[in-house]
Amino acid sequence: MSDTAGNGAVLVVGGGISGLTAALEAAEVGNDVFLIEKNSYFGGRVAQLNQYFPKLCPPTCGLEINFKRIKDNRKIRTYTLTTVKSISGGPGNFEVQLETAPRYINSNCTACGDCAQVCTDEIEDAFNFGMGKTKAAYLPHEMAFPRRYVLAKEACSAACLDAVKAACKYNAVELDMQPKTFTLKVSSIIWSTGWNPYDANKITNLNYNSSQAIITNMMMERLAADNGPTRGKIVRPGDNKEPASFAFVQCAGSRDENHLQHCSYICCMATFKHISYIRSQYPDAKIYVFYIDLRTPGKYEHFREKFMADANTTFIKGKVADIVAERDGGVTVVAENAITGAKVHQKVDLCVLATGMEPALGEQGKALGVTMDGNGFVVSSPEKGMMSAGCAKSAVDVYSSGQSSTAAALKAIQIGR
Amino acid sequence: MSMNVQPDLDFIKAMKEAGGDTLKKCYQCATCSVACPLSSDTNPFPRKQMILAQWGLKDKLVSDANIFLCHQCGDCTEMCPRGARPGDVLGAIRSYAYRSLGWPTALASLCASAKNLPMLIGIPAVAIFILWLISGGMHIPTGEHFAKAGYTQFFGHWDFRLLAKNVLFIDIIMLTAAGIAVTSVYKGVSTLWKGMESSIGLKDVPYRPSVTQFVKLFLWPSVIEILQHARFKECTVNADRVKGHQPLMFGFIGLFIVTCYSLFTQDVIGIFIPSMHGPISMWNPVKLLANVSAVAMIAGIGILWMNRTKMETAGKASNTFYDWFLIWIIMGVGVTGLSAELLRLVGIPSLGYVVYYLHLISVVMLFLYMPYTKFAHIVYRTFAMAFERYRESSYIKNPLNQ
Repeated sequence: MSDTAGNGAVLVVGGGISGLTAALEAAEVGNDVFLIEKNSYFGGRVAQLNQYFPKLCPPTCGLEINFKRIKDNRKIRTYTLTTVKSISGGPGNFEVQLETAPRYINSNCTACGDCAQVCTDEIEDAFNFGMGKTKAAYLPHEMAFPRRYVLAKEACSAACLDAVKAACKYNAVELDMQPKTFTLKVSSIIWSTGWNPYDANKITNLNYNSSQAIITNMMMERLAADNGPTRGKIVRPGDNKEPASFAFVQCAGSRDENHLQHCSYICCMATFKHISYIRSQYPDAKIYVFYIDLRTPGKYEHFREKFMADANTTFIKGKVADIVAERDGGVTVVAENAITGAKVHQKVDLCVLATGMEPALGEQGKALGVTMDGNGFVVSSPEKGMMSAGCAKSAVDVYSSGQSSTAAALKAIQIGR
Repeated sequence: MSMNVQPDLDFIKAMKEAGGDTLKKCYQCATCSVACPLSSDTNPFPRKQMILAQWGLKDKLVSDANIFLCHQCGDCTEMCPRGARPGDVLGAIRSYAYRSLGWPTALASLCASAKNLPMLIGIPAVAIFILWLISGGMHIPTGEHFAKAGYTQFFGHWDFRLLAKNVLFIDIIMLTAAGIAVTSVYKGVSTLWKGMESSIGLKDVPYRPSVTQFVKLFLWPSVIEILQHARFKECTVNADRVKGHQPLMFGFIGLFIVTCYSLFTQDVIGIFIPSMHGPISMWNPVKLLANVSAVAMIAGIGILWMNRTKMETAGKASNTFYDWFLIWIIMGVGVTGLSAELLRLVGIPSLGYVVYYLHLISVVMLFLYMPYTKFAHIVYRTFAMAFERYRESSYIKNPLNQ
């Protein structure tokens, strides 16, 4: 395999479930594939979930087999901490400039963890959405692939860096590592850049920052996950109270001209999934779901029926438009119940904002010549040699991401043959 | 079976005309009801009114007290996720309500559209012109006469002591306009009150408040609340409006007092003491009040004018005839009134008489069109606020009444 492919090579941008799928599909029919990922690990958002649809599997289930297929496939070359800087050329002969940010830990790393042991400085735990801290020398998460530590050099004191370097038995710590730019020649590009949870701080009326009792749905995934900050126990961040009541605020930022115009598709099902998490830990907790419409497509309808039959779960048609922090650490959510026509002031211990999906590629995509729709999703344009897959293309679940990734791979391998 | 659906085009058109065409964008999330600082817990608005309007249930809307309780701060519009602009829609519903409560119907529909502006100005202009012609007073006075009599002999002068010629003509004009307005408003408020009662399922109650009790318990507290601008001050997005509305309202009250005083001294006391006729001295406290009020009125309406322009430029309010017509009339009354006085003081009778003629037109427009334009809120909102107190009171909530 060579960098100067020009022979149907595919660049896959983004190594989440969609990128992994697209890369494997293209490689397994014989094309060369370059899979790049901005983060220090592959697996994307799925890696952060506790369980995922359609079968409520833990992420290890789907990711592990894909990682193994990638490791075994000589056609795929992977790059973490890597982003696209510029693109020139066209379908069949793209020339892509990429840059790999320094990891400060080289491939000698065996993930023994000695560096983290001696590391004295801490950084915010981004993988757990800031719920807790992690050492500045860290493994991104338990099942990280590549299984290699990362060093947040800028967060460390000189003494800490010396200690980290000294602790490594394998000479893996490289403190003078520099950003590395390189060029790839490919025939087509698949954008599988995924999504970010919409920034809850932007929804000013929901006062996200006013109380620790307000969390996002992705934080809920981390709270419920065995490898999360609470080892899978759903408790209120801050005081670790076991909540007796929960409120779910649907469409937090989605279907809203002032925020995300699109329906994020997954939040309704995510909430039902969270109800299932809660029920397994708190069989009698009161749950209130505030919604505009419930979108539970296809067979997910049965999942909805199951939880709507739950006597301790109340569904209120009306969007929460105000959240007030209470002195006891809980919050009161305010909405109008459109069925009864009266306002509801519901006090709960924990409030979950069902924040939506914001396409992660953002404005820089346009500079790279990517066609984007009004909401920032990438429009698949095979005539330009650029395809989109998964949540970069539209807000979808894992199952649909797999479909669109396979479709994107199928288009990609037809270009530049 | 075939079904012939007849959409209510008239209602749709009325809503569009008054700036409520965004209503179809509403998807009933109810954010607005929570965003609204004035909506109560048991009787929130405007989410419900939005769907009633979408469904074309205009009868329910016209008898809904909540549409008048809205002060159109725009807090709901600001937070609406769909750009449905509930604040503007409720304004349009009110405009429709004034029109449908208004009597005579022809006059009410005339006031609904900018197309009719020539007619709306023309009616009082022609009527006053003809009366001016008939009165024989249509000639420009000498400077000396003007300085002495001011505009009190605009419609001429005769020696019949009990009723001055000018007073007769002014009364013919103003009492007709005010009479139509008062009748219309009386009919409108009666219809509205009955509608509001039936809207909360109220039919026969054994205990009703007496008139005195009604005024004391419900109407007067509402008036006090209005004077204090308590609800206006709850608004966040458009809080600046208070700065315009408050001086304007006190200006109106001041001018009302002055008009009553002048009516009494000139037309009643003037019968016995002829020297009471003619302009009041500038140092008379009543005249002082008049001038302060006039300035307050012009300043107030000017602030509202600028505020509205600013809102429209920022896309936070829609540009409608319904909103602007009242602003124009009040500005017209204020500017022509004050200019007429200034022209009298500097002694330019020719221009003064023309401006005074324009002043009469604008005052008639203010009176006559009051029940059908945005000005109607002065009555309907007051009674809706009284009704809000009434529906929460023990007359309604009392188990004896159930």
